[in-house]
Amino acid sequence: MKDLRFLCTLLFGVAVVLFFGMAYPHHLHYQEQYQLFLFDLGYVWEIVKLPGGLADLLGRFCTQFFLFAWVGATIIGILLSVVQLLTLRLTDWGRLYGLSYVPAFLLWLFLLDENALFGGVWAVVLTLLASWGFDKLRCGWTRRILLVIAIPLLYWMAGPVCIVFFLLQAPRPQRIPWYYGLFILLAVLPVLLSFYLPVSADKLWFGIHYHRYPTVFPSLLWSASLSIFVLTLIARGLHHWANASHRIVATLCSFGLVFAIMLAFVWKNTNSKAEKVMQYDFMARHQQWNRILETINAEKPNNPIGVTVQNLALAMHGLLPDHLFEYNQNGISGLFPSVERDATSPLPTAEVFYQLGMINVAQRTVFEAQEAILDFQKSARCYKRLAQTNLINGDYEVSRKYLTALQKTLFYSDWANETLPLLGDEDAISKHPEYGRLRQMAYKEDFYFSDHTTCQMLQNLFLSNTDNRLAYDYLLAYCLLTGDRETYYYVTSIKQ
Amino acid sequence: MKNILYILFTILVFSGCTYEKVGDAKQEAVQPQIYPDYVDVTIPVNIAPLCFCMADETALLIDAVVSDSHGHTLHSQGEESTDFDLDDWHTLLSQNRGDSLSVTVSAKYDDGWHTYRPFSFYVSTDSIDYGICYRLIEPGYEVWSKMGIYERELSSFDERPLIENTQFEGCVNCHSFNRGNNADMSLHIRGPHGATLLRKDNGPFTAYNTKTDQTLGLCVYPYWHPSGRYIAYSTNNTNQLFHSAHPNRIEVFDDASDLQVYDIEKNELLVSPLLKQDSVYETYPVFSPDGRSLYFCAARALPEGSHQLDSIRYDLCRIDFDPETGNYGNHVDTIIAASAQHRSVSFPRPSYDGRFLCYTLSDYGQFSIWHHEADLYLLDLSIGESRRMDAANSEDTDSFHNWSTNSRWLVLSSRRDDGLFTRPYFCHIDAKGNVSKAFMLPQRNPRRFYRERFLSFNVPDFIIAPTRFNGYKASRLINDEYRKDMGVRTLSPL
Repeated sequence: MKDLRFLCTLLFGVAVVLFFGMAYPHHLHYQEQYQLFLFDLGYVWEIVKLPGGLADLLGRFCTQFFLFAWVGATIIGILLSVVQLLTLRLTDWGRLYGLSYVPAFLLWLFLLDENALFGGVWAVVLTLLASWGFDKLRCGWTRRILLVIAIPLLYWMAGPVCIVFFLLQAPRPQRIPWYYGLFILLAVLPVLLSFYLPVSADKLWFGIHYHRYPTVFPSLLWSASLSIFVLTLIARGLHHWANASHRIVATLCSFGLVFAIMLAFVWKNTNSKAEKVMQYDFMARHQQWNRILETINAEKPNNPIGVTVQNLALAMHGLLPDHLFEYNQNGISGLFPSVERDATSPLPTAEVFYQLGMINVAQRTVFEAQEAILDFQKSARCYKRLAQTNLINGDYEVSRKYLTALQKTLFYSDWANETLPLLGDEDAISKHPEYGRLRQMAYKEDFYFSDHTTCQMLQNLFLSNTDNRLAYDYLLAYCLLTGDRETYYYVTSIKQ
Repeated sequence: MKNILYILFTILVFSGCTYEKVGDAKQEAVQPQIYPDYVDVTIPVNIAPLCFCMADETALLIDAVVSDSHGHTLHSQGEESTDFDLDDWHTLLSQNRGDSLSVTVSAKYDDGWHTYRPFSFYVSTDSIDYGICYRLIEPGYEVWSKMGIYERELSSFDERPLIENTQFEGCVNCHSFNRGNNADMSLHIRGPHGATLLRKDNGPFTAYNTKTDQTLGLCVYPYWHPSGRYIAYSTNNTNQLFHSAHPNRIEVFDDASDLQVYDIEKNELLVSPLLKQDSVYETYPVFSPDGRSLYFCAARALPEGSHQLDSIRYDLCRIDFDPETGNYGNHVDTIIAASAQHRSVSFPRPSYDGRFLCYTLSDYGQFSIWHHEADLYLLDLSIGESRRMDAANSEDTDSFHNWSTNSRWLVLSSRRDDGLFTRPYFCHIDAKGNVSKAFMLPQRNPRRFYRERFLSFNVPDFIIAPTRFNGYKASRLINDEYRKDMGVRTLSPL
């Protein structure tokens, strides 16, 4: 029986890994790019000094591995399996064994939202670990005293979802006076803290870092955690029925039923459109121009970001003016989408600006994208690009700041160490294949950027350096998309 | 709590460690290159320890001995930075008020110790106020991330938040006190919960809606009247444009702006046609120390739709103000016709003793913090002459500033460190207008601190005591919908 259950958990874990590794890898990349995990005491302190801090810290620590989708998927698979196993240990589920997967499945659903933070999952894990640990303690004064200590401590470590820990202590009547006492303690805690912490009171009740959007109530996370209590109650209530005969068959049936239903929910709530957009963003980020061409040839993109990245890849291969109309187009927005204050559009747009040599506008777009991260985190991707734009602009001390910060990361420190010696070394920069080229391509004459002067911006860029083939291709594409013959003939005559 | 953890960690790491003896040092004929540049600075007696690092980062150890003429010494040695004991530092400074301290720096490199020619700290007899208050924000464009208003005690390294935008949705700016006294205080909130929080005589805060039908927009750039009854504001229609290839990244400019004075007692904005002209951009109003004049910057307005921003140049102007009636004078005097010299004045700040007026001069515009060429100037009000504050200025941006309440210290915002992130610097100005070299706000490990902080110190202003600002109450006020409206009274020129 134990082996069978182990196999079921393994099956569940593998399903999670396969899902995130194959169907949702770019959601994981997306998560990773909106945080900057630093191995630095000050950074850690800033996180753990708030309620839910330890869960948040563990979540951020794990999220940095999402840079590699399969590693991220494995971490998620392991953690959700742990949730299931800890839920299983709370009571004897019997025939209702399948229900022990419901909280883990709800967390899976929670993670389908690209703005759901992994710290939320850790909060549930910490809560379950605490419950499991307490269940091993004998009743008595030691346990009661530890319980009084554990409530605020767990609140500080995991945040308000730790209420489940408190609820799980409820069904034992001999503890009723203690139970009310603890209830008061738990209720008073956020109220008291709201006087002293720089956080709004509602976040102390519903969680500070469970979701990137501060105004969003993470209902699926709460459903997952509360379901642990509700399902445990049900299992305890139906104890005699659940532990009747034919347990193996019933166990398998309940597992299969829950698995099938919940998997259907997961599949139904999968946002494949967003995944596609994130895929294009990912490919542009890593300058996978060949892969982009393969992707657009297999399926022509029909989302604005996809079209933007498609055009950039065509331009990088010198194919843009000649093959422009073989693919879906989105007017001049397909060349330069207007920068929105959302989380997906600015970074691919900034990639276009950067590759063209519009360094200042690329810098602004990336900076604004980072500032717009709603939970006030920083972004390793943005830091890297800001270090590059400042380096190209000759703002070496500013670039050094970003590079020094990246030195404290796990996956960007090598790049930062390689880049630091370039600062101030004009010779090395001019010989650098990327920075040297972009310096040559940059504007020579100053003017004010505007979203409404795309043609002028491209013309100025091209006239600054007529060898800027990318600018030339973009300018021609602009003329073709707008029907601006005059500029087209003017530009081609200059090139000839 | 954070400090305790740091201290415990430091004790753990350095327990058992002793100072390494500076032996067989090579004597250098030059003074050391240190960060921040504290060489030969004038400092207030009550300033926090001026810890510093070697400017180059290859030094393995830095050793500093501060000594006075009476034989007292203070020693510090560290891997990255000196870290003088706080109490010993203050004792040494108080023993040497009006005297110089000699600082001998040695640095250990791969080839051994080097000892440099000593430099001095001159301990001024003029003390500095309790602390400064500032906004911390990333020097960005239009979007903001986490930010807040903070206070820093100048005799220690303690920094405390007054309010942060984690407590409400929006941004916070333009904190203002009446001569450093937080009994009279105002604070702007922008965003969906926009308001101006205002309190007088230590009373409770009230949230105001400063926008009226008869004025251009919200009240900005506050400056308190010495009586505490009035606050001068400008109201600005501010825009931004972004350079494509210029060392200055951003142009922040007004395409309309007016001045108004808020009468707290009568809850009225006092408006004058002389300060509300369509053909003139008026901004940055400040009261004279006697409260009978209003200084401000004024520029000829651009034709509608024009983006010739480099032709907007502000002069320093003045108009009479009658604190008894709230009336303005009948004419505007031009004090500094900067536009005639193709320069532009911003951030006028008169010293509280009425002797000087410090302002920023840049090539054009009024938002000089984004202008690398911006420098500070000192106008001697007794003779009407201005001169550049060379000792305090740098090659990069030197801009927003405020006076200490004894009018002997100036806190100024400078981007000399890296060209982007604004840091507070302090300089001494004696009764004759002699300006000392500016020194950076001390930190326990300055390189680490300033390199790791990706925030600019915005609008630094002195405070005479801890503000004891209740962020919880303020955030409740901000998140509440109630806003008190302001009335408007248009005054005819006298």
